[in-house]
Amino acid sequence: MIHQYQNNGYNIVLDVNSGAIHVVDELMYEVIGLYEVHSPEEIRALLADKYEAAEIDEALSEIDELIESKELFTPDEYEGYIEELGKNRPTVVKALCLHIAHDCNLACKYCFAEEGEYHGKRELMSYEVGKAALDFLVANSGNRRNLEVDFFGGEPTLNFQVVKDLVAYGRNLEKEHDKKFRFTLTTNGVLLNDDIMEFANREMDNVVLSIDGRPEVHNFMRPFPNGSGSYDLVVPKYKKFADSRDQQRYYVRGTFTHHNLDFAEDVLHLADLGFKQISVEPVVAPESADYAIREEDLPRLYEEYDKLAQEMIKRHKNGEDFNFFHFMIDLEGGPCVAKRLSGCGSGTEYLAVTPWGDLYPCHQFVGNEEFLLGNVYEGVKRDDIVADFKSCNVYSKEKCKNCFARFYCSGGCAANSYNFHGSIHDAYDIGCALQKKRVECAIMIKAALAQED
Amino acid sequence: MKHVQTLNTRKLQNTVKKGGCCTSCGNQTEQCK
Repeated sequence: MIHQYQNNGYNIVLDVNSGAIHVVDELMYEVIGLYEVHSPEEIRALLADKYEAAEIDEALSEIDELIESKELFTPDEYEGYIEELGKNRPTVVKALCLHIAHDCNLACKYCFAEEGEYHGKRELMSYEVGKAALDFLVANSGNRRNLEVDFFGGEPTLNFQVVKDLVAYGRNLEKEHDKKFRFTLTTNGVLLNDDIMEFANREMDNVVLSIDGRPEVHNFMRPFPNGSGSYDLVVPKYKKFADSRDQQRYYVRGTFTHHNLDFAEDVLHLADLGFKQISVEPVVAPESADYAIREEDLPRLYEEYDKLAQEMIKRHKNGEDFNFFHFMIDLEGGPCVAKRLSGCGSGTEYLAVTPWGDLYPCHQFVGNEEFLLGNVYEGVKRDDIVADFKSCNVYSKEKCKNCFARFYCSGGCAANSYNFHGSIHDAYDIGCALQKKRVECAIMIKAALAQED
Repeated sequence: MKHVQTLNTRKLQNTVKKGGCCTSCGNQTEQCK
Protein backbone atom coordinates (compact mmCIF):
# COMPACT_ATOMS: atom_id res chain seq x y z
CA MET A 1 0.00 0.00 0.00
CA ILE A 2 1.23 3.47 -0.83
CA HIS A 3 -0.02 6.98 -0.15
CA GLN A 4 1.02 9.68 -2.58
CA TYR A 5 0.31 13.37 -2.25
CA GLN A 6 1.63 16.77 -3.28
CA ASN A 7 2.35 19.48 -0.74
CA ASN A 8 4.29 22.74 -0.96
CA GLY A 9 5.78 21.74 -4.32
CA TYR A 10 6.93 18.29 -3.21
CA ASN A 11 5.73 15.01 -4.76
CA ILE A 12 5.74 12.58 -1.86
CA VAL A 13 5.20 8.83 -1.86
CA LEU A 14 4.81 7.02 1.46
CA ASP A 15 5.27 3.26 1.33
CA VAL A 16 2.93 2.55 4.22
CA ASN A 17 4.10 -0.86 5.42
CA SER A 18 7.84 -0.22 5.27
CA GLY A 19 7.63 3.43 6.33
CA ALA A 20 9.86 4.43 3.40
CA ILE A 21 9.37 8.03 2.28
CA HIS A 22 10.22 8.93 -1.31
CA VAL A 23 10.36 12.39 -2.82
CA VAL A 24 9.93 11.93 -6.57
CA ASP A 25 9.79 13.97 -9.76
CA GLU A 26 6.61 14.58 -11.80
CA LEU A 27 7.23 11.63 -14.11
CA MET A 28 7.75 9.16 -11.28
CA TYR A 29 4.75 10.55 -9.40
CA GLU A 30 2.52 9.83 -12.38
CA VAL A 31 4.01 6.41 -13.12
CA ILE A 32 3.62 5.27 -9.51
CA GLY A 33 0.00 6.40 -9.59
CA LEU A 34 -0.65 4.16 -12.60
CA TYR A 35 1.58 1.24 -11.65
CA GLU A 36 -0.85 -0.96 -9.72
CA VAL A 37 -3.68 -0.89 -12.25
CA HIS A 38 -1.88 -0.65 -15.61
CA SER A 39 0.69 -2.76 -17.44
CA PRO A 40 4.01 -1.16 -18.49
CA GLU A 41 2.70 -1.00 -22.08
CA GLU A 42 -0.44 0.83 -20.96
CA ILE A 43 1.61 3.26 -18.85
CA ARG A 44 3.86 4.05 -21.82
CA ALA A 45 0.78 4.72 -23.97
CA LEU A 46 -0.98 6.81 -21.32
CA LEU A 47 2.05 9.06 -20.77
CA ALA A 48 3.38 9.07 -24.35
CA ASP A 49 2.33 12.66 -25.02
CA LYS A 50 4.21 13.96 -21.96
CA TYR A 51 7.37 11.86 -21.62
CA GLU A 52 9.86 9.98 -23.79
CA ALA A 53 9.51 6.18 -23.75
CA ALA A 54 13.08 5.83 -22.47
CA GLU A 55 12.30 8.07 -19.49
CA ILE A 56 9.19 6.07 -18.64
CA ASP A 57 11.18 2.83 -18.83
CA GLU A 58 13.78 4.35 -16.53
CA ALA A 59 11.07 5.16 -13.98
CA LEU A 60 9.56 1.67 -14.28
CA SER A 61 12.98 0.17 -13.69
CA GLU A 62 13.48 2.27 -10.55
CA ILE A 63 10.05 1.19 -9.28
CA ASP A 64 11.03 -2.46 -9.75
CA GLU A 65 14.22 -1.80 -7.82
CA LEU A 66 12.30 -0.23 -4.92
CA ILE A 67 9.82 -3.12 -4.85
CA GLU A 68 12.72 -5.57 -4.80
CA SER A 69 14.28 -3.79 -1.81
CA LYS A 70 10.86 -3.74 -0.05
CA GLU A 71 10.53 0.03 -0.06
CA LEU A 72 7.54 0.37 -2.37
CA PHE A 73 4.19 -1.45 -2.57
CA THR A 74 5.33 -3.47 0.45
CA PRO A 75 2.58 -5.87 1.60
CA ASP A 76 1.06 -5.70 5.09
CA GLU A 77 2.20 -8.79 6.96
CA TYR A 78 1.64 -7.53 10.48
CA GLU A 79 -1.96 -8.42 11.36
CA GLY A 80 -1.26 -11.97 12.56
CA TYR A 81 1.89 -10.78 14.31
CA ILE A 82 -0.01 -8.24 16.41
CA GLU A 83 -2.73 -10.74 17.31
CA GLU A 84 -0.14 -13.29 18.48
CA LEU A 85 1.74 -10.65 20.41
CA GLY A 86 -1.46 -9.59 22.16
CA LYS A 87 -2.17 -13.15 23.23
CA ASN A 88 1.33 -14.06 24.33
CA ARG A 89 2.72 -10.93 25.94
CA PRO A 90 1.68 -10.26 29.54
CA THR A 91 1.03 -6.58 30.15
CA VAL A 92 2.25 -4.71 33.19
CA VAL A 93 1.20 -1.32 34.51
CA LYS A 94 3.77 1.22 33.33
CA ALA A 95 2.18 4.55 34.17
CA LEU A 96 -0.41 6.18 36.39
CA CYS A 97 -2.20 9.47 35.97
CA LEU A 98 -2.83 10.73 39.51
CA HIS A 99 -5.78 13.07 39.81
CA ILE A 100 -4.23 15.05 42.61
CA ALA A 101 -7.10 17.53 42.64
CA HIS A 102 -10.61 17.31 41.32
CA ASP A 103 -10.84 21.03 41.65
CA CYS A 104 -9.66 24.00 39.63
CA ASN A 105 -9.14 27.74 39.95
CA LEU A 106 -10.06 28.43 36.32
CA ALA A 107 -13.35 27.89 34.50
CA CYS A 108 -12.17 26.86 31.04
CA LYS A 109 -15.14 26.50 28.71
CA TYR A 110 -13.93 23.38 26.91
CA CYS A 111 -12.68 21.41 29.93
CA PHE A 112 -13.63 17.73 29.68
CA ALA A 113 -13.16 17.61 33.45
CA GLU A 114 -15.89 20.23 33.97
CA GLU A 115 -13.86 22.71 36.04
CA GLY A 116 -11.89 19.81 37.44
CA GLU A 117 -14.83 17.96 38.96
CA TYR A 118 -15.07 15.14 36.39
CA HIS A 119 -18.86 14.90 36.61
CA GLY A 120 -18.58 14.44 40.38
CA LYS A 121 -17.58 16.32 43.49
CA ARG A 122 -14.65 18.59 44.26
CA GLU A 123 -12.02 16.63 46.14
CA LEU A 124 -8.27 16.58 46.75
CA MET A 125 -6.23 13.36 46.79
CA SER A 126 -4.89 12.54 50.24
CA TYR A 127 -1.29 11.46 50.82
CA GLU A 128 -2.58 8.04 51.90
CA VAL A 129 -4.44 7.45 48.63
CA GLY A 130 -1.42 8.65 46.65
CA LYS A 131 0.89 6.30 48.55
CA ALA A 132 -1.46 3.39 47.88
CA ALA A 133 -1.44 4.32 44.18
CA LEU A 134 2.36 4.26 44.00
CA ASP A 135 2.40 0.95 45.90
CA PHE A 136 -0.15 -0.41 43.40
CA LEU A 137 2.04 0.73 40.50
CA VAL A 138 5.17 -0.91 41.89
CA ALA A 139 3.29 -4.13 42.70
CA ASN A 140 1.76 -4.36 39.21
CA SER A 141 4.78 -3.34 37.15
CA GLY A 142 6.45 -6.76 37.05
CA ASN A 143 10.13 -6.58 36.18
CA ARG A 144 9.80 -3.23 34.50
CA ARG A 145 12.15 -0.68 36.05
CA ASN A 146 11.03 2.63 34.49
CA LEU A 147 7.67 3.82 35.78
CA GLU A 148 5.79 7.01 35.10
CA VAL A 149 3.53 9.11 37.29
CA ASP A 150 1.67 12.13 35.94
CA PHE A 151 0.39 14.68 38.43
CA PHE A 152 -2.84 15.79 36.84
CA GLY A 153 -6.16 17.36 37.71
CA GLY A 154 -8.14 19.51 37.87
CA GLU A 155 -5.27 21.68 38.93
CA PRO A 156 -2.57 19.76 40.83
CA THR A 157 -0.93 22.85 42.31
CA LEU A 158 -4.05 23.24 44.49
CA ASN A 159 -2.71 20.21 46.38
CA PHE A 160 1.01 20.66 45.90
CA GLN A 161 2.19 19.54 49.33
CA VAL A 162 0.78 16.09 48.52
CA VAL A 163 2.65 16.18 45.19
CA LYS A 164 5.89 16.89 47.07
CA ASP A 165 5.23 14.20 49.65
CA LEU A 166 4.41 11.61 46.98
CA VAL A 167 7.59 12.38 45.04
CA ALA A 168 9.57 11.83 48.25
CA TYR A 169 7.69 8.58 48.87
CA GLY A 170 8.38 7.50 45.28
CA ARG A 171 12.10 8.17 45.66
CA ASN A 172 12.14 5.84 48.67
CA LEU A 173 10.29 3.17 46.70
CA GLU A 174 12.94 3.45 43.98
CA LYS A 175 15.63 2.32 46.39
CA GLU A 176 13.55 -0.46 47.93
CA HIS A 177 12.33 -1.98 44.66
CA ASP A 178 15.00 -1.01 42.10
CA LYS A 179 12.56 1.18 40.18
CA LYS A 180 12.96 4.56 38.50
CA PHE A 181 10.07 7.02 38.58
CA ARG A 182 9.58 9.60 35.88
CA PHE A 183 7.32 12.31 37.31
CA THR A 184 5.45 14.90 35.27
CA LEU A 185 3.19 17.85 36.08
CA THR A 186 0.38 19.52 34.13
CA THR A 187 -0.67 22.98 35.33
CA ASN A 188 -2.74 26.01 34.36
CA GLY A 189 -0.03 28.26 35.80
CA VAL A 190 -2.21 30.30 38.16
CA LEU A 191 -0.40 29.22 41.34
CA LEU A 192 3.07 28.78 39.83
CA ASN A 193 5.73 30.35 42.02
CA ASP A 194 9.47 30.02 42.55
CA ASP A 195 9.03 27.21 45.06
CA ILE A 196 6.95 25.09 42.65
CA MET A 197 9.28 25.83 39.73
CA GLU A 198 12.39 24.90 41.71
CA PHE A 199 10.77 21.68 42.90
CA ALA A 200 9.59 20.83 39.37
CA ASN A 201 13.01 21.54 37.89
CA ARG A 202 14.52 19.15 40.40
CA GLU A 203 11.94 16.37 40.25
CA MET A 204 9.73 16.59 37.15
CA ASP A 205 10.95 15.06 33.91
CA ASN A 206 8.38 17.09 32.04
CA VAL A 207 5.89 19.85 32.71
CA VAL A 208 2.90 20.86 30.62
CA LEU A 209 1.88 24.51 30.81
CA SER A 210 -1.62 25.26 29.56
CA ILE A 211 -1.97 28.31 27.31
CA ASP A 212 -4.03 28.68 24.15
CA GLY A 213 -2.09 31.35 22.27
CA ARG A 214 -3.01 34.96 21.61
CA PRO A 215 -4.36 36.87 24.65
CA GLU A 216 -7.90 37.25 23.28
CA VAL A 217 -8.07 33.56 22.34
CA HIS A 218 -6.68 32.37 25.67
CA ASN A 219 -8.83 34.66 27.79
CA PHE A 220 -12.01 33.79 25.89
CA MET A 221 -11.71 30.08 26.66
CA ARG A 222 -9.65 30.11 29.89
CA PRO A 223 -11.21 32.67 32.25
CA PHE A 224 -11.31 32.73 36.02
CA PRO A 225 -14.71 31.87 37.52
CA ASN A 226 -15.42 35.63 37.72
CA GLY A 227 -14.95 35.91 33.95
CA SER A 228 -11.61 37.73 33.91
CA GLY A 229 -8.79 36.39 31.74
CA SER A 230 -5.74 34.48 32.95
CA TYR A 231 -3.25 35.28 30.13
CA ASP A 232 -1.45 38.19 31.79
CA LEU A 233 -0.97 36.23 34.99
CA VAL A 234 0.44 33.02 33.50
CA VAL A 235 2.60 34.18 30.57
CA PRO A 236 5.43 35.79 32.59
CA LYS A 237 5.54 32.72 34.84
CA TYR A 238 5.67 30.34 31.88
CA LYS A 239 8.48 32.30 30.24
CA LYS A 240 10.51 32.19 33.43
CA PHE A 241 9.72 28.48 33.92
CA ALA A 242 10.66 27.51 30.35
CA ASP A 243 13.92 29.44 30.53
CA SER A 244 14.75 27.89 33.90
CA ARG A 245 14.46 24.47 32.19
CA ASP A 246 16.75 25.60 29.33
CA GLN A 247 13.75 25.50 26.97
CA GLN A 248 13.63 21.71 27.29
CA ARG A 249 11.51 19.07 29.04
CA TYR A 250 8.29 21.07 28.89
CA TYR A 251 5.43 21.92 26.57
CA VAL A 252 3.27 24.98 26.38
CA ARG A 253 0.04 23.29 25.42
CA GLY A 254 -3.05 24.93 23.97
CA THR A 255 -6.40 23.97 22.55
CA PHE A 256 -7.90 25.49 19.42
CA THR A 257 -11.64 25.56 18.79
CA HIS A 258 -14.20 26.60 16.20
CA HIS A 259 -13.63 30.15 17.47
CA ASN A 260 -9.97 30.29 16.38
CA LEU A 261 -9.70 28.29 13.20
CA ASP A 262 -6.68 30.48 12.39
CA PHE A 263 -4.80 28.59 15.11
CA ALA A 264 -1.45 28.82 13.29
CA GLU A 265 -1.42 32.41 14.52
CA ASP A 266 -1.63 31.11 18.08
CA VAL A 267 1.23 28.66 17.54
CA LEU A 268 3.37 31.43 16.07
CA HIS A 269 2.38 33.79 18.89
CA LEU A 270 3.72 31.25 21.39
CA ALA A 271 6.89 30.87 19.32
CA ASP A 272 7.28 34.65 19.20
CA LEU A 273 7.03 34.73 23.00
CA GLY A 274 10.17 32.58 22.98
CA PHE A 275 8.71 29.14 23.68
CA LYS A 276 10.50 26.30 21.89
CA GLN A 277 8.29 23.31 22.80
CA ILE A 278 4.75 23.94 21.61
CA SER A 279 1.57 21.94 21.21
CA VAL A 280 -1.72 23.46 20.08
CA GLU A 281 -4.37 20.81 19.55
CA PRO A 282 -7.94 20.63 18.26
CA VAL A 283 -10.68 20.61 20.86
CA VAL A 284 -12.70 17.41 21.09
CA ALA A 285 -16.22 18.36 22.07
CA PRO A 286 -19.84 17.29 21.54
CA GLU A 287 -21.25 18.53 18.24
CA SER A 288 -23.73 20.65 20.19
CA ALA A 289 -20.98 22.84 21.70
CA ASP A 290 -20.59 26.22 19.98
CA TYR A 291 -16.80 25.83 20.09
CA ALA A 292 -16.74 22.29 18.62
CA ILE A 293 -14.75 21.61 15.45
CA ARG A 294 -17.15 20.73 12.63
CA GLU A 295 -16.67 18.86 9.41
CA GLU A 296 -17.09 22.07 7.43
CA ASP A 297 -14.12 23.54 9.36
CA LEU A 298 -11.72 20.95 7.96
CA PRO A 299 -10.64 22.71 4.72
CA ARG A 300 -9.76 25.82 6.71
CA LEU A 301 -7.82 23.79 9.27
CA TYR A 302 -5.90 22.01 6.50
CA GLU A 303 -4.85 25.43 5.19
CA GLU A 304 -3.68 26.41 8.66
CA TYR A 305 -1.56 23.27 9.06
CA ASP A 306 -0.02 23.96 5.63
CA LYS A 307 0.66 27.56 6.58
CA LEU A 308 2.25 26.50 9.86
CA ALA A 309 4.44 23.88 8.17
CA GLN A 310 5.70 26.40 5.63
CA GLU A 311 6.43 28.96 8.33
CA MET A 312 8.35 26.36 10.36
CA ILE A 313 10.55 25.60 7.34
CA LYS A 314 11.17 29.33 6.89
CA ARG A 315 12.05 29.78 10.55
CA HIS A 316 14.36 26.77 10.42
CA LYS A 317 16.33 28.47 7.66
CA ASN A 318 16.61 31.57 9.87
CA GLY A 319 17.72 29.58 12.91
CA GLU A 320 14.43 30.26 14.71
CA ASP A 321 13.31 26.64 15.10
CA PHE A 322 10.68 25.46 17.51
CA ASN A 323 9.10 22.04 18.01
CA PHE A 324 5.43 21.53 17.23
CA PHE A 325 4.23 18.39 19.00
CA HIS A 326 1.93 17.17 16.24
CA PHE A 327 4.58 17.57 13.54
CA MET A 328 7.19 15.57 15.44
CA ILE A 329 8.00 12.50 13.44
CA ASP A 330 11.14 10.38 13.45
CA LEU A 331 11.73 8.75 10.09
CA GLU A 332 14.91 6.95 11.11
CA GLY A 333 13.75 5.85 14.56
CA GLY A 334 10.49 5.82 16.42
CA PRO A 335 8.75 2.84 17.96
CA CYS A 336 8.74 -0.68 16.57
CA VAL A 337 5.80 -2.01 14.56
CA ALA A 338 4.31 -3.72 17.62
CA LYS A 339 4.06 -0.45 19.53
CA ARG A 340 2.86 1.52 16.52
CA LEU A 341 -0.04 -0.83 15.92
CA SER A 342 -0.99 -1.46 19.55
CA GLY A 343 -1.96 2.07 20.54
CA CYS A 344 -1.44 4.19 23.60
CA GLY A 345 -1.63 1.62 26.41
CA SER A 346 -4.75 3.02 28.08
CA GLY A 347 -6.70 0.50 30.13
CA THR A 348 -3.78 -1.91 30.32
CA GLU A 349 -0.40 -0.22 30.76
CA TYR A 350 -1.70 3.20 31.74
CA LEU A 351 -4.42 3.88 34.31
CA ALA A 352 -5.93 6.97 35.92
CA VAL A 353 -6.50 7.26 39.67
CA THR A 354 -9.22 9.45 41.19
CA PRO A 355 -8.66 11.42 44.41
CA TRP A 356 -10.36 8.61 46.33
CA GLY A 357 -8.35 5.83 44.66
CA ASP A 358 -10.65 4.48 41.95
CA LEU A 359 -8.99 3.21 38.78
CA TYR A 360 -10.08 4.08 35.22
CA PRO A 361 -8.58 3.25 31.80
CA CYS A 362 -7.35 6.83 31.38
CA HIS A 363 -8.09 10.36 32.53
CA GLN A 364 -10.68 10.80 29.78
CA PHE A 365 -12.83 7.97 31.16
CA VAL A 366 -12.83 9.21 34.76
CA GLY A 367 -16.37 9.73 36.01
CA ASN A 368 -17.92 7.22 33.60
CA GLU A 369 -18.90 4.39 35.95
CA GLU A 370 -19.10 1.92 33.05
CA PHE A 371 -15.30 2.06 32.94
CA LEU A 372 -14.58 1.82 36.67
CA LEU A 373 -11.88 -0.87 36.81
CA GLY A 374 -11.29 -1.20 40.56
CA ASN A 375 -9.26 0.76 43.09
CA VAL A 376 -5.71 1.13 44.31
CA TYR A 377 -6.35 -0.95 47.44
CA GLU A 378 -7.98 -4.01 45.86
CA GLY A 379 -6.52 -3.69 42.37
CA VAL A 380 -8.21 -4.20 39.01
CA LYS A 381 -11.45 -6.15 39.31
CA ARG A 382 -12.83 -5.70 35.80
CA ASP A 383 -10.54 -7.94 33.77
CA ASP A 384 -13.18 -7.93 31.02
CA ILE A 385 -12.68 -4.19 30.43
CA VAL A 386 -8.90 -4.58 30.49
CA ALA A 387 -9.16 -7.42 27.95
CA ASP A 388 -11.28 -5.21 25.70
CA PHE A 389 -8.65 -2.46 25.80
CA LYS A 390 -5.89 -5.00 25.22
CA SER A 391 -7.63 -6.28 22.10
CA CYS A 392 -7.90 -2.72 20.81
CA ASN A 393 -5.39 -2.21 18.02
CA VAL A 394 -5.24 -0.87 14.50
CA TYR A 395 -6.60 -4.12 13.06
CA SER A 396 -9.59 -4.18 15.41
CA LYS A 397 -10.85 -0.97 13.80
CA GLU A 398 -12.31 -1.07 10.30
CA LYS A 399 -11.46 2.59 9.69
CA CYS A 400 -7.82 2.11 10.65
CA LYS A 401 -6.71 -1.17 9.13
CA ASN A 402 -6.32 0.29 5.62
CA CYS A 403 -5.46 3.87 6.59
CA PHE A 404 -2.13 5.25 5.36
CA ALA A 405 -1.51 6.98 8.69
CA ARG A 406 -1.91 3.90 10.88
CA PHE A 407 1.78 3.59 11.75
CA TYR A 408 1.90 7.20 12.93
CA CYS A 409 -1.48 7.40 14.65
CA SER A 410 -1.76 3.91 16.18
CA GLY A 411 -5.54 3.89 15.92
CA GLY A 412 -6.39 7.12 17.67
CA CYS A 413 -7.89 7.82 21.07
CA ALA A 414 -10.14 5.19 22.67
CA ALA A 415 -12.01 7.82 24.68
CA ASN A 416 -12.77 9.94 21.62
CA SER A 417 -13.95 6.84 19.78
CA TYR A 418 -16.22 5.90 22.68
CA ASN A 419 -17.61 9.41 23.08
CA PHE A 420 -18.57 9.70 19.41
CA HIS A 421 -19.44 6.12 18.49
CA GLY A 422 -20.12 4.28 21.75
CA SER A 423 -17.25 1.85 21.16
CA ILE A 424 -13.52 1.96 21.76
CA HIS A 425 -13.05 -0.06 18.55
CA ASP A 426 -14.02 2.80 16.26
CA ALA A 427 -12.37 6.14 15.46
CA TYR A 428 -13.35 9.80 15.85
CA ASP A 429 -13.68 10.97 12.26
CA ILE A 430 -12.69 14.64 12.56
CA GLY A 431 -9.68 13.60 14.63
CA CYS A 432 -8.71 11.13 11.88
CA ALA A 433 -8.96 13.75 9.15
CA LEU A 434 -6.75 16.18 11.07
CA GLN A 435 -4.26 13.47 12.02
CA LYS A 436 -3.82 12.48 8.37
CA LYS A 437 -3.21 16.09 7.40
CA ARG A 438 -0.65 16.51 10.18
CA VAL A 439 1.24 13.39 9.07
CA GLU A 440 1.37 14.75 5.51
CA CYS A 441 2.68 18.10 6.74
CA ALA A 442 5.24 16.52 9.07
CA ILE A 443 6.64 14.39 6.24
CA MET A 444 6.70 17.39 3.90
CA ILE A 445 8.78 19.33 6.44
CA LYS A 446 11.26 16.43 6.50
CA ALA A 447 11.40 16.52 2.69
CA ALA A 448 12.05 20.25 2.69
CA LEU A 449 14.79 19.99 5.31
CA ALA A 450 16.39 17.06 3.47
CA GLN A 451 16.51 19.12 0.29
CA GLU A 452 18.13 21.96 2.21
CA ASP A 453 20.82 19.68 3.61
CA MET B 1 18.18 6.95 -8.50
CA LYS B 2 17.40 9.62 -11.03
CA HIS B 3 13.71 10.08 -10.28
CA VAL B 4 13.56 9.24 -6.56
CA GLN B 5 15.08 10.59 -3.37
CA THR B 6 14.40 8.27 -0.41
CA LEU B 7 14.44 10.14 2.90
CA ASN B 8 14.95 7.23 5.28
CA THR B 9 16.75 3.91 5.42
CA ARG B 10 15.05 2.26 8.40
CA LYS B 11 12.34 -0.20 7.41
CA LEU B 12 9.45 -0.94 9.75
CA GLN B 13 9.52 -4.64 8.85
CA ASN B 14 13.02 -4.83 10.32
CA THR B 15 11.63 -3.91 13.76
CA VAL B 16 9.46 -7.04 13.93
CA LYS B 17 12.18 -9.44 14.97
CA LYS B 18 13.69 -7.53 17.87
CA GLY B 19 10.72 -5.24 18.59
CA GLY B 20 7.63 -6.07 20.60
CA CYS B 21 9.57 -6.28 23.85
CA CYS B 22 8.29 1.28 25.43
CA THR B 23 2.80 4.60 27.13
CA SER B 24 1.85 7.24 24.59
CA CYS B 25 -0.93 9.72 23.90
CA GLY B 26 5.43 8.25 16.85
CA ASN B 27 8.71 9.53 18.06
CA GLN B 28 10.22 7.44 20.79
CA THR B 29 12.57 4.59 20.09
CA GLU B 30 16.57 1.00 23.78
CA GLN B 31 15.80 -2.35 22.18
CA CYS B 32 15.18 -0.82 18.76
CA LYS B 33 17.86 1.85 18.74
